[in-house]
Amino acid sequence: MTILIMVLAALLGAPLFAIIAYSALANFHGADISLQVVAIEFFRMAEQPFLVAIPLFTLSGFLLAESNAPSRLVRLTQALMGWMPAGLAVVCLITCALFTAFTGGSGVTIIALGALLMPALKEAGYLDSFSLGMVTSAGSLGLLFAPSLPLILYGVVSGESIRDLFLAGIIPGVLMVALLAGYSIWSCRGVKRPLARFSKREALTALREAAWEIPLPMVVLGGIYSGFFAISEAAAVMAVYVIIVEVLVLKEVPISKLPRIMRESSVLIGAILLILGLSLASTNFMIDAGIPQKLLALISQWVSSKFTFILLLLVFLLVLGAILDIFSALVLMVPLVLPVATEFGINPVHLGILFLATMELGYLTPPVGMNLFISSYRFDRPITAVYLSTIPFFLVMLVSVLVIAFWPQLSLWLLA
Amino acid sequence: MLPSRKMLRWYRCSSNWILSGLIAVLLGGMVLLAAAQILMRNLFSYSLFWGDDLLQLALLWLVMSGAVAAAHTGEHLRINILAQYIPRAARPWMYAALHVFTAAVCAVLAWQSALMVLESAEYGDMMFGKLPAWGAQLVMPVGFGLLAFNYTIRCLSEVFHGVRRRAPHGSMT
Repeated sequence: MTILIMVLAALLGAPLFAIIAYSALANFHGADISLQVVAIEFFRMAEQPFLVAIPLFTLSGFLLAESNAPSRLVRLTQALMGWMPAGLAVVCLITCALFTAFTGGSGVTIIALGALLMPALKEAGYLDSFSLGMVTSAGSLGLLFAPSLPLILYGVVSGESIRDLFLAGIIPGVLMVALLAGYSIWSCRGVKRPLARFSKREALTALREAAWEIPLPMVVLGGIYSGFFAISEAAAVMAVYVIIVEVLVLKEVPISKLPRIMRESSVLIGAILLILGLSLASTNFMIDAGIPQKLLALISQWVSSKFTFILLLLVFLLVLGAILDIFSALVLMVPLVLPVATEFGINPVHLGILFLATMELGYLTPPVGMNLFISSYRFDRPITAVYLSTIPFFLVMLVSVLVIAFWPQLSLWLLA
Repeated sequence: MLPSRKMLRWYRCSSNWILSGLIAVLLGGMVLLAAAQILMRNLFSYSLFWGDDLLQLALLWLVMSGAVAAAHTGEHLRINILAQYIPRAARPWMYAALHVFTAAVCAVLAWQSALMVLESAEYGDMMFGKLPAWGAQLVMPVGFGLLAFNYTIRCLSEVFHGVRRRAPHGSMT
């Protein structure tokens, strides 16, 4: 009965937090345990030091998106890399990946950068369907790079070191961007187009223009990787830096807009962390009730090898990524999947990278992948046109996900 | 008495102002406090012993305020695969039912967190050495209470005012 109500309410569109809270309440009630446990577990959220990083990174991301930083980023990468064959396509991939890493939530990228990149791609003579597919697919690229919110959230939920996850994401993330860039260069080989020359002057101007933002990744990432900053400290440094630069120095975001931006970021924070807090309770119940063990026993009946398990996991995550946002999927599924995956000999850090990489692909999976809809809405194209345009990119990303999944050393190499 | 449109508008407007102010104070304060902690730690090798705890509590307050703000604008994360297959005429009823469900869950959460706060007050739980902890915990019953209230209002306005705004409500972008 509980499950029936949950599934029906979820599919009809009840907020996920209510469904999770309902499952926790119903389960504890069924087991004759005081419902107060749910409130107590929720309050435990105030005991997790890493979580403080999430609002600070989110605020910085929203502020950056509101300023002219996206257009400076595009100009800079174009000045530095535009001379390559399919240069603009490569520029598009790299800027999207960087932007997503720093703004965390997928979808923001397509909205903030799409308006800049689509016209530029069109002007440079790229085919319309190529540009559409590229921008749509690039919209979730970069989730594997620090300091993306899903990486932090995976660390919080799984208890793995966030710094390890930040390190582990680098090579798989680069692989994804590189494969997509390679495909773009190959696919545009026939198009005769004068290559833009590298201009020292333009590069210098672009560098000077972005002078305030260039130190940002270095300070934040350098600080985290070198161990100089804890994650939440890096988040605080970034927030203060972005506020000073965009609001006080460049004055691109007026102070009067700050409360609105803060409100918008806290809506996202509230939506994600409310689910996290409530799922602390429902997860605890499931673990007490031995659900992961039961799941393991069930899966072991059908699956015996690690190889088949990973394959099964990939299919499952792909479907999940197509219907659920990445934050809810992480919070709900990691506590269940992690113990089972560990039994099959999968390293928890590798699982995190594999999880996020597959979810990234899930955003492009028809019929309901989120990027497809955002793109169709943002660029005013029929959804079927977006489906078709993303197919080649989807396949290339699928290849990289398979490599990431079956080659754990790729993720774990930098940790050794 | 049924809520009139005017009352609804007044409620939305005033609560929006209060929420935005609270969020700005909380988030702005978190940025300042976190930055001050780093400066003090590195320059004077000194840090406020309650600084990190206060940050984590502020986060809890921010989460509850953000959750109420998200309820106002209908931006809570959700999946709605089936909704499009429900006949248009039936949708207000479907939404009303979902709002009742959400409001009921929030009401139970508010009630249970109120019990937790009461117990904590009875035991005399302390934070930062000398302040009663229930003051900080109060945000939970109040927050869940406001969520329950919000979804009740949404349900009523769905039933009595029908479908007015059917803006895409949900998936965070």
